[in-house]
Amino acid sequence: MNVHQISTEPALMSLTEVAQAIAQKRLSSREATKSCLDRIAQWQPHLNAFMAIEADTALAAADAADAAVAKGNLRGALHGVPLAHKDMYYDAGRVVTCGSKIRRDFVPTSTSTALQRLKDAGSIRLGSLQMVEFAYGPTGHNAHYGAVHNPFALDHITGGSSSGSGSAVAARLTFAALGSDTGGSIRMPAHFCGVTGLKTTYGRISRAGAMPLSQSLDTVGPLARTAEDCALLLGLMAGADPEDPTAAGGLVPDYMAATRGEIKGLAIGVPTAFYVDDLDPEVARVLDETIATLKREGATIVQVELPDQRQLTAACHLVVSVEAAAFHKRWLIERPQDYGPQVLMRLQNGLAIPGVSYLEAMRWRGAALAAHNAAVAGVDAVIAPGAPVPAPTIAESDVGNSPDADNVIARLTRFTRPTNYLGLPSLSIPSGFTRNGLPVGMQLIGRSFDEAMLLRIGAAFQRATDFHARVPKLA
Amino acid sequence: MTRPNAKEIKAIADVAGMPVSADIAARIADSIGPAFEGFAAVAGTLPFDLEPASFLLVQTAKVSK
Repeated sequence: MNVHQISTEPALMSLTEVAQAIAQKRLSSREATKSCLDRIAQWQPHLNAFMAIEADTALAAADAADAAVAKGNLRGALHGVPLAHKDMYYDAGRVVTCGSKIRRDFVPTSTSTALQRLKDAGSIRLGSLQMVEFAYGPTGHNAHYGAVHNPFALDHITGGSSSGSGSAVAARLTFAALGSDTGGSIRMPAHFCGVTGLKTTYGRISRAGAMPLSQSLDTVGPLARTAEDCALLLGLMAGADPEDPTAAGGLVPDYMAATRGEIKGLAIGVPTAFYVDDLDPEVARVLDETIATLKREGATIVQVELPDQRQLTAACHLVVSVEAAAFHKRWLIERPQDYGPQVLMRLQNGLAIPGVSYLEAMRWRGAALAAHNAAVAGVDAVIAPGAPVPAPTIAESDVGNSPDADNVIARLTRFTRPTNYLGLPSLSIPSGFTRNGLPVGMQLIGRSFDEAMLLRIGAAFQRATDFHARVPKLA
Repeated sequence: MTRPNAKEIKAIADVAGMPVSADIAARIADSIGPAFEGFAAVAGTLPFDLEPASFLLVQTAKVSK
């Protein structure tokens, strides 16, 4: 741990570092919280990453956490650590907007399981983070609350839909943040903003109390600075939940232990097609460099021929379109004028898909996963870019419901949707930068419920590189 | 699977209780067309006994390298 960082700017520490520093009384929760609030005051006018900032209550909670430390009462692994999350996790008694006008004043009466588990571990609340309206969009634009800006280049997008989570973690305004991933909504902000993001296996973390978009595809996961931070959060949140029958039971692996493993002898698959086609040259360069680093660290690189990913993308499109339209049907009838143009357009799409087509897409899912498992039988993980391009500008991707919108959305989500359809875990790790200073991330795609392997590879990569440690600066 | 045209989409939306204009129906047809085309090779080919829950069986099966 860098002592200089503790004495000058605690917000620059990683989640695991700050949690240990507070527990060991080397840093107070107030110092950590104040440091985040100072950076929020500095950056928020430029980023628009926060939906709500709750400075007074955060400092009061920090003081209570410090008093507990003084008495030797630690609540858990996140005691006194300030966090903020995507504004779609229900928190009883607090407004949760879901990035929408429709839920601008919505106050839930219960708290989401994932959030409650982080609270039970001792974390405190800094506020809530911006997001794409109802988590239905890949760019980070929001017709009601404005676009969120990329800390590494303010005129560029963050990616979505966990736009505030990506932006705030990258700018070191929060030590980590919950996101959600239905079609790439954790991995795209991670790729574009240079942070580590974990899309979990479908069923790994309870979805209870998390705003639904597509019940068959929705997943909860963290964005943080390191794979180790993601491991800590996953270990706290994973496991069975009586409130969500789709949450998997059984023992939760020791994900932190996994991050200490080496990658010597592991086999990493490089797709022969699709994920290596039509790449921006700088993304292609970073992919090559990442493969070279993994090889240098002892991994074996193997070519893998995956099943047709375009079919998986199409199936994902059919499923999410119908399920999202069904969730929103009442508001589509009663309040269509209260949606942003692009979200309304995409919700209307689901109305036109016949029930038989939707169910065919659902029926094929098991067979498609079995075919994928057979194709990757010889490797421990598959590597692929998070997106084929670095972050576009906010202006060029502000397409609303224009005829260009479908193309922009399809291009950005090209490398993420297949994984959602198959329900697989995928860890996005900062892997390089373009010549203009834009981050580029790589996905490590694993087997169902084998997040531990991805975190092991990601942590080893981060021990060998420093892309995840680069801090954006305001001009 | 044939992609629905604007006229068919207008009828489907009516049945769903969400009438849309001809313009919107045409826009929807353009938006969802690629999904139907991408899934065309799978649609209509699935075995009789396959049901959505088969996904959970495959997902939880022990898979190792």
